[in-house]
Amino acid sequence: MTLIQTWVQTPLAQAIGWTLVHSLWEGALVALVLAAALWAFRSSRARYAAACLAMLAMLAGFGFTFTREMPRQRGHVAIIANAGIAWLPAGFEAPKGVVGHRAADSLPWLAPFWMVGVAIFHLRSLASWMSARHLRRTGVCLAPDHWRERLERLGARVRLSRPVTLLESCLAEVPVVIGYLRPAILMPVGLLAGLPAGQVEAILLHELAHIRRYDYLVNLLQSAVEGFLFYHPAVWWISGLIRAERENCCDDLVVATHGDAHEYAAALATLEQNRWSAREAAPAATGGNLMQRIRRLLNRPEAPRRALTPIFSAGILAITAAVVLMAWPSKAGAKAPAPAAPAGPAAQAERVQQMRVQLATPYTKWLTEDVAYIITDRERAAFKSLTTDEERELFIEQFWLQRDPTPGTVENEFKEEHYRRIAYANEHYASSVPGWKTDRGRIYIIYGPADEIESQPHSDASTYRSEQWRYRFIEGVGTNVVIEFVDSTGSGEYRMTRDVPGQSGGHVFSSTEPGARVTVEITSDRRMLIGIPIDFEARQYEIYGTTRRSDTGATVSVFSEMRSLCKDAPGTTGCLPQPVFQPFPVVTLGPGPYIFRAAVKDSAGTAQKTYTVNFTVD
Amino acid sequence: MPDSPPRPTDAELELLTVLWSRGPSTVREVHETIARRRPTQYTTVLKQMQIMAAKGLVSRDEKQRAHVYAAAHPREWTERYLAGDFLRRAFNGSASRLMVGALSARKTSKQELAELRRLLDEYERGTP
Repeated sequence: MTLIQTWVQTPLAQAIGWTLVHSLWEGALVALVLAAALWAFRSSRARYAAACLAMLAMLAGFGFTFTREMPRQRGHVAIIANAGIAWLPAGFEAPKGVVGHRAADSLPWLAPFWMVGVAIFHLRSLASWMSARHLRRTGVCLAPDHWRERLERLGARVRLSRPVTLLESCLAEVPVVIGYLRPAILMPVGLLAGLPAGQVEAILLHELAHIRRYDYLVNLLQSAVEGFLFYHPAVWWISGLIRAERENCCDDLVVATHGDAHEYAAALATLEQNRWSAREAAPAATGGNLMQRIRRLLNRPEAPRRALTPIFSAGILAITAAVVLMAWPSKAGAKAPAPAAPAGPAAQAERVQQMRVQLATPYTKWLTEDVAYIITDRERAAFKSLTTDEERELFIEQFWLQRDPTPGTVENEFKEEHYRRIAYANEHYASSVPGWKTDRGRIYIIYGPADEIESQPHSDASTYRSEQWRYRFIEGVGTNVVIEFVDSTGSGEYRMTRDVPGQSGGHVFSSTEPGARVTVEITSDRRMLIGIPIDFEARQYEIYGTTRRSDTGATVSVFSEMRSLCKDAPGTTGCLPQPVFQPFPVVTLGPGPYIFRAAVKDSAGTAQKTYTVNFTVD
Repeated sequence: MPDSPPRPTDAELELLTVLWSRGPSTVREVHETIARRRPTQYTTVLKQMQIMAAKGLVSRDEKQRAHVYAAAHPREWTERYLAGDFLRRAFNGSASRLMVGALSARKTSKQELAELRRLLDEYERGTP
């Protein structure tokens, strides 16, 4: 088990994995909305603002999804993490046919890749930032005074109050702005003297526009967002859009201030040309947007924009939606059990009849699936006696309300946890039988995640795959409860080999003595579950029990244990959290009449109680 | 060896930039320009200029009383010199991602450049 395998099982990794998948469709959706907005907006400022908003929306979506996934995954993973078997052996693999389980399981593996990517992109940004600082300091000198005075006047014209340093650089290829607190304009050395003054002014105005709009800072932040969402094509599309519209905004400002679009366009073209003559061996790269900008400046019809990305986004949206749906059916199904009453005009009597059946189904499902393991017999009987759906709705509401640990709040933690357990069981224990119906599913839903899980993979033909679940404490059952599951058919459906009292739906017999009663429950497969009450005070109890056949007198099982109540001896192993003792292991009986005798004795004093239960096994 | 002078240090690069910006200048003029950006000693600049002249980075005109220095190579020379320095080029290249300016980091192709020229000329002819 490597470190990364362990890490992938943490809630953080799971949450990141899910967040990444969700952000795919979220981002695609944002891109589609942005595409629609761009179609409506003509002005560069509006388009720029829309693109910036879209980028923020993508980031916010990511953050929001993550904060929602994190607590969910924390609950989810606890079971496996506690069990100390972070990377389960092959025997624990999902049964085939449950695509969602596999997809969901491999999701956390996205997290380490994503983190490496984020680190790389941010390191790259850091290097860029450092080299920009270097560029500002090396091979530069202050521009001649008359140019700096001109810059000041130009700054006043675009209502820029911050001081701007004008530098000439022998390393900069093109005029650039560096810094946002103390911004500097770097001009390639010689350009100030080499171009017509009007053109230089136009270019300086463009740079001042960048400074006034805080473009350097925005660009830094933009690079940071790119670094987080680098895996999403939409973020690169939006980012490119922001860069392009940013230049257009500055161009607009130059033309508005300077007046001569043609001179400005000529200046840009000259700049670009200078850049070429500087280096002979430069590759013939295409993809700059200067062409479009100059067409725009000269009011020439623009070449048709490529609208590939929105289409691409639609594709991503469809694919991720499919993936999420595939990976999520069990969760979604269990999370939304609310009966949706289909409304609609019922034209034919047959359809009305059909609808009645459908309406009945959600409540039946609620009783026989959703709460099958936690509803009491009395509640079940009461629910069955209800006649109208209003009553049933009210009953269900009350049912959950009674179990809400914090009745004052909107959240019902009990209900949420219950449906989470169902979802978990469906996701992890499904075979040919739905997860919630399996033994492991049932125990998980009733008692929650085990504190420890030991699983034995299939070692040779004679042994079966099995799991032992250990609970330190189960309310109403006892401490150190071990439940064993064996996949005896090899189908992936693990069967419980020992039963837990009260959950088997068998016959219950009680002791006849007055006062507290010992119960003996015989399950449908003839296992004997015993509950012995402890109803007097003592530091330590000796508990004895014998089971005999009442016809032959043969002893079937005997136990004797010494226990304390946990409240009297906290931290003791094997103490009883409840004043009820339930012996393990459980014996299986043949048909016949039996007598069970039990005694509870104060091991230091004389207090003693004895119980007798007569029962028959069919 | 004027054809292959040694790489200038950062300090020498700064002096060269001043010379490219102002054209041939005396040490006093160069010192004035640099001193406006950061405090520096006249003698330091003088010494550096003398070293650079010995290296062949600058040429010295001794006809006047105050010697006039000029960069021995045109500004484009740094490009070629940087082109050989892969690390430095990559360093400067990555900076362009973060900086904002009149032109994008990516170059326009030569065909497009010709097209641009044509467009501008057309415009000029079209407007009175």
